[in-house]
Amino acid sequence: MTGLMFKLRRSPRTLLERDGHPGPGPGHIGLVMARAGVGKTAFLVGLGIDALLSKQNVLHISLDRGVDKVREWYDDLLLGLLQRERKVQHLAGIQLEIERHRHIHTYLNDTFSPERLQASLDLLMNFGDFVPRVIILDRLDFEHFGTGGVREIRDLAENVGAELWLACRTHRDGPQAEDGHLPPPADAFERYIDTAFSLDPYDAKIRLHVLKDYQKMLDEDLNILLDPTTLLLETGFGANRS
Amino acid sequence: MNYDIDRIRNIGISAHIDSGKTTLTERILFYAQKIHAIHDVKGKDGVGATMDHMELERERGITITSAATYVGWKDHHINIIDTPGHVDFTIEVERALRVLDGAVLVLCSVAGVQSQSITVDRQMKRYKVPRLAFINKCDRSGANPDRVTNGLRDKLGLNAILMQLPIGLEADFEGIVDLVEMKAIYFRGESGEDLEITAIPESMQELAESRRAEMLDSVSMFSDELMEAALEDAATPELIHDAVRKGVLSLELAPVFIGSAYKNKGIQPLLDAVNNYLPSPNDVPIEALDLDDESVPVILESDVEKQAVAYAFKLEDGRFGQLTYMRIYQGTIAKGDTVIQTRTRRKLKIGRLVRMHSDKMEDIEKATAGDIIGFFGIDCHTGDSFVSPGPRLAMTSMHVPEPVISLSILPADNKAQTNMSKALSRFSKEDPTFRVRLDDESGETIISGMGELHLEVYVERMRREYSAEVETGAPQVAYREAISRRAEFNYTHKKQTGGSGQYAKLAGYLEPFDEGEYEFVNEIRGGAIPTEFIPACNKGFRSAMHEGSLIGFPIVGVRVLINDGNSHSVDSSDMAFQVASRAAFREAYRKANPRILEPLMRVAVEGPGEFQGVIYRSLMQRRGNIIGSVEDAGFARVEADVPLSEMFGYSTDLRSATQGKAEFTMEFSRYAPVPRELSEKMLADYRSSKKDGEEKK
Repeated sequence: MTGLMFKLRRSPRTLLERDGHPGPGPGHIGLVMARAGVGKTAFLVGLGIDALLSKQNVLHISLDRGVDKVREWYDDLLLGLLQRERKVQHLAGIQLEIERHRHIHTYLNDTFSPERLQASLDLLMNFGDFVPRVIILDRLDFEHFGTGGVREIRDLAENVGAELWLACRTHRDGPQAEDGHLPPPADAFERYIDTAFSLDPYDAKIRLHVLKDYQKMLDEDLNILLDPTTLLLETGFGANRS
Repeated sequence: MNYDIDRIRNIGISAHIDSGKTTLTERILFYAQKIHAIHDVKGKDGVGATMDHMELERERGITITSAATYVGWKDHHINIIDTPGHVDFTIEVERALRVLDGAVLVLCSVAGVQSQSITVDRQMKRYKVPRLAFINKCDRSGANPDRVTNGLRDKLGLNAILMQLPIGLEADFEGIVDLVEMKAIYFRGESGEDLEITAIPESMQELAESRRAEMLDSVSMFSDELMEAALEDAATPELIHDAVRKGVLSLELAPVFIGSAYKNKGIQPLLDAVNNYLPSPNDVPIEALDLDDESVPVILESDVEKQAVAYAFKLEDGRFGQLTYMRIYQGTIAKGDTVIQTRTRRKLKIGRLVRMHSDKMEDIEKATAGDIIGFFGIDCHTGDSFVSPGPRLAMTSMHVPEPVISLSILPADNKAQTNMSKALSRFSKEDPTFRVRLDDESGETIISGMGELHLEVYVERMRREYSAEVETGAPQVAYREAISRRAEFNYTHKKQTGGSGQYAKLAGYLEPFDEGEYEFVNEIRGGAIPTEFIPACNKGFRSAMHEGSLIGFPIVGVRVLINDGNSHSVDSSDMAFQVASRAAFREAYRKANPRILEPLMRVAVEGPGEFQGVIYRSLMQRRGNIIGSVEDAGFARVEADVPLSEMFGYSTDLRSATQGKAEFTMEFSRYAPVPRELSEKMLADYRSSKKDGEEKK
């Protein structure tokens, strides 16, 4: 099972593997930027699946969708990965395995705050025996959350030793990125961001740009194309290394 | 009774426990003049709600069986099934949804979308049932219809649109603003029967305008005509009704209504909405299978002249014999008609035809497509289809979950034994999730069902309705066994004891099979095993799966493939191949790394946020795997998969840990392997109990 799980990994997160960590590593904060509807949520779910397939504990936080919906996204993506490998018979087993490593937490009706997150992490660690290694936070409204808020959640993730992934919406007609900086609104809190990707529709696919890697701004185009449905790499991580 | 089929509505009323479904139905019956007095659910007045006709239902204040009734409302005929809220009785909800065309999802305005609302919504989605939502209890402290509507969107993913606004809330809840007609409605008279329709209070005018604009924005997606009219500020109620109806029928819109059934507010507009927005039998495409033509799907039409097709969705044994609840999908069925039971091809004569009103009934001469009625004098099972002479059409069956819990029962004396048998025979016929078997080893009668409460209710009914006093054993979990890897077999069965002997040889393998309980694949080439013995092999393998060698529970999820073998012209027989298959299975089973599986329940616990930690701990202590949690305005819901074996007594523990402020529901989730340590203990216990049994013999 472990071999198959490893082979299924196809998230761009695999590109960031360093020092034996399946992803960028603890205390690292990643950001994916795109316009509405391009697939930021799918990208984050892909990251989550990648961590789960690496047997890392994932805390997926949603601010507007119930547990069932988020679970459905994970299940659909996993099914697609297994169908591609013609290994659907392992669905139930892998599902069970990844559910042991995943916790979905939803804060509805604007109940999310760094304090609530801290309280939830305390609950999970003290009562749920669950220490997240990857925290995914979807649909955070940066314009209202502010730079201070980003710093606070970054500190929280660092304290528990988790890597944190956020998604940020950009606007077609909004101000453009200045040279050497992330596009607005992420430029306001870019010093807290270690890795940043942007997603753009391109010729029936999605092009992934690496804007920042390990605190270093990049200006070269690595020409990485993603499947427009799954937002995953065309070739799997395991396949590259086998 | 003759009525236009477009004016028939077959609706269900479903919700979480204690959201007020039965109270709502009681009001509907009252306003439609079906009853002349309103009674409380818990029967404080000694009468009890009309639809909770079972004594046990009235005592406990919960609905156990779904009851059927009908009302007339503004030239429409509405058949209503009031369904239970507790998940242990989920088969009743499934039965109702299978035969209904639309539903009203009732929610509490304080608690909002609760765990059972999610289960019920999932069931509605499975059967593609269009629905309206009714936010009840707006008079309660903490009532917040906006929050509940958001919950419908966030938690259930429904395109929920408020069609009304409350005038006041909690103790000040006075009436509603209808955003379609832009009028205020107050419910006057002793029981809210007199509607006073006035202008919207000035203080609410602005809010009503903006909410109407939001509503039109969403609803106009379903009608270009409405969109154009809305742009010109000329949206008429007719255009809005038409667009909402389209949205509801396409399952893309869930209009939301508000009220307080207990305080007699908001019910009549809800009934208008049922007429206006929920489908008639003509609006719902129904598919049957033609069993005479390789089960080709056939679309049925609500045409009263066509071949009659009816579906039995519920059975009840009463003083006049078996009462079978039927939905007629096509044609007409009249008293004295001959119908054919599709499954058995038996011809039956309709002796008595009745229209149900809770436990009362009214004899009728005939019923037509779209109707829900009762038949007497027909012996059948739930899920059977009936047709008038013509093609053998069958409706597709309902989803019947497997029982997950068992209980041994022992009659107190001989009289109780006879009565218990009668009761069990009736209950198992009525309820496909209730099973009865005799344990070969202990000789005990074992009943199985969907949860503790499910079995508890049947044991209580045995006592009350059949005077069968029984002692019950400790609840037992329905474990399963499964293999985890492929294993080959090559087995020869040879026996010569004088006369003709027995000879059969077969080879192949077993492998895990996730898509079902069992699959048999024959890949014998060149007649190594003669074709006539292949069914015997299949039968032998299948019978070997009834009892696993680990702890004696049934084996599931196995594909058996045979690819070689041998036979003898004289000594081979069906019996020899069956014996060989069983032995081959046992041989390979040991090598296939068998494991014990246990049922996991999806448990959802809800309570005030401050108890979240306690809830987590309570689930973790029971080997629960926390799937997720939701925080919402001071409330928290935690969902976990917990082994059923750990859930006994949970309700008492949860109550004491949360001062009675948290509640939980659970439903079967899936089977999963038992952890190694526990598995070893179970194996040792099974071996020792088997050894004890053998020594006693």
